[in-house]
Amino acid sequence: MSDHDERPDDRLRKPLPPWVPPADRPGKSERPAEPAEGAPGEPTAPPDAPPPARDDAPLPASDDAPPPAPDAQPPAPDDAPPPDPEPPAPLTGRERLVNGLWPPRVTRAQLIVALLLFGLGFGLAVQVASNSGGDSALRGARQEDLVRILDELDDRTERLEDERQGLEKQREELENSSDQAEEARRQTLEKERQLGILAGTVAAQGPGITVTIEDTMGTVEADMLLDAIQELRAAGAEAIQVNGVRIVAGTYLTESGKSVSVDGNKINAPYRFQVIGKPQDLEPALNIPGGVVQTLEKEQATVTVERSSKIVVDALRAAKRPDYARSSSR
Amino acid sequence: MIAVLGLVVGVVAGLLVQPEVPAAVEPYLPIAVVAALDAVFGGLRAMLDGIFDDKVFVVSFLSNVVVAALIVFLGDKLGVGAQLSTGVVVVLGIRIFSNAAAIRRHVFRA
Repeated sequence: MSDHDERPDDRLRKPLPPWVPPADRPGKSERPAEPAEGAPGEPTAPPDAPPPARDDAPLPASDDAPPPAPDAQPPAPDDAPPPDPEPPAPLTGRERLVNGLWPPRVTRAQLIVALLLFGLGFGLAVQVASNSGGDSALRGARQEDLVRILDELDDRTERLEDERQGLEKQREELENSSDQAEEARRQTLEKERQLGILAGTVAAQGPGITVTIEDTMGTVEADMLLDAIQELRAAGAEAIQVNGVRIVAGTYLTESGKSVSVDGNKINAPYRFQVIGKPQDLEPALNIPGGVVQTLEKEQATVTVERSSKIVVDALRAAKRPDYARSSSR
Repeated sequence: MIAVLGLVVGVVAGLLVQPEVPAAVEPYLPIAVVAALDAVFGGLRAMLDGIFDDKVFVVSFLSNVVVAALIVFLGDKLGVGAQLSTGVVVVLGIRIFSNAAAIRRHVFRA
C-alpha cells in the first residue's frame, strides 16, 4: 500500500502541470476514498480543470466521485478552506492541517463536518458503551451465535439436571441409611430400657399393686416371701421391689436371725412389695384359696393388697457383667 | 477546529446520555460507525491533499453509512450477515489503513 500511495502524494506536492496526461490518472485511482474530489482542489491548473473532472468520473473505487466532481467546482473557491487562499505556493499537508486547525473559522463546511462528526462520535460512544455493558457477549451476538449459545446452554442444563438427579438419589440413599441407623439406635435404646427394667438397672413406673405384710409375731420367713414373689411373677409382675430392694432374676432371699436378707440386704417387717403389672391379675393371684395371703394369715401375719394406677419402682441394681456367660447370638 | 470539537462533543454526549440502542438499529450501528470512520479518514486525507470539499464529504459520509448498513441488512436477509459484515469491515479497514498511511506521510513526512 505504501508505494501506491507514494505516487499520488508526490504528485500532489508539486502543482499539477497542464501537460500531465490522463495516463497519469491510474495512479490516482489507487486512492480509495475522499481524494476523488481532486477536481475542486486543483485550481492551480485552471486550463486543465475539465479533464480531471472527466477523469474522476470513471473511477469506480471512489464512492463519491461522479456526482460531486462537476458541481463541486463552483463552491470550491469559497468552501474548501485551507488550500484555496494561496494558489501560487502549494501548501504541504502539514501546513494545511495546522491552517485548518488553528484559527477556528465558522464556515458552513466546518459546521456541516462538525455535525457529521458529532453523529459519528455519538454513535461510536453509544456503541462502545452498549458493547462494554454487562451482557455484551450476548448483545453483539448474531442470531446464529445466539442459537448456538442457547443450544449449548440447553445441553449444559440437561447435563446438570442429570447430575442433580444423581446427587439427589445419592442423598436420599444416605438419608435412608442414616435413618436406618437412627432407627436401629432408637430400637436398641428402647430394648436397653426394656431389658433394664427386667434387669433392674432402670427405674420403672406403671399400674400395679402394693402388698404390705405386717409381721407382728416374727413368723414370716424367707421362703414365704419367696412364695409371694414367685406368685407375683407367675401373675405377670414386671418389676418388683421390696423395702427398697429391687427383685430381679438372680435375687436370693436368706434368713438372717429374726429378719430376712434380700440379696444380702437385711430387711425388716413390715415387708412392703411394690409390684408393677396388671392389678386385675396380680391381686387375685395373691388371694386365691390356699394362696399366699391365706398362708401368711395362717402364720398370724396381716396382708393388705392395694391396687394403684401408678406404682414407682425406683430401687436400682448395678448392671453386672457376667464373668463366664457370653451371648451366643452372633 | 469546529469539526474536531464536534467529534469530541459527540463522544462526550454519547457517553453521558447512554441511550438504549433500538433493537432494529443494533446490528447496523457498528458497521455504520466503521463506515463513517472510513469517510472521516478519507476526508482528512483529502484535506491534507488540499482537495477537500464539504459537499463531497457529506455525500460520501452519508452514502458510506447507508451502503454499509444496507449491505449488512441484505446479508442478514440472505443469511450471510456475519460473513458479509466481516467483509465490509475488512474492506473499510483496508481503506482506513491506506488513508491513514497517506495522512501519516503528510503529517510526519515519513
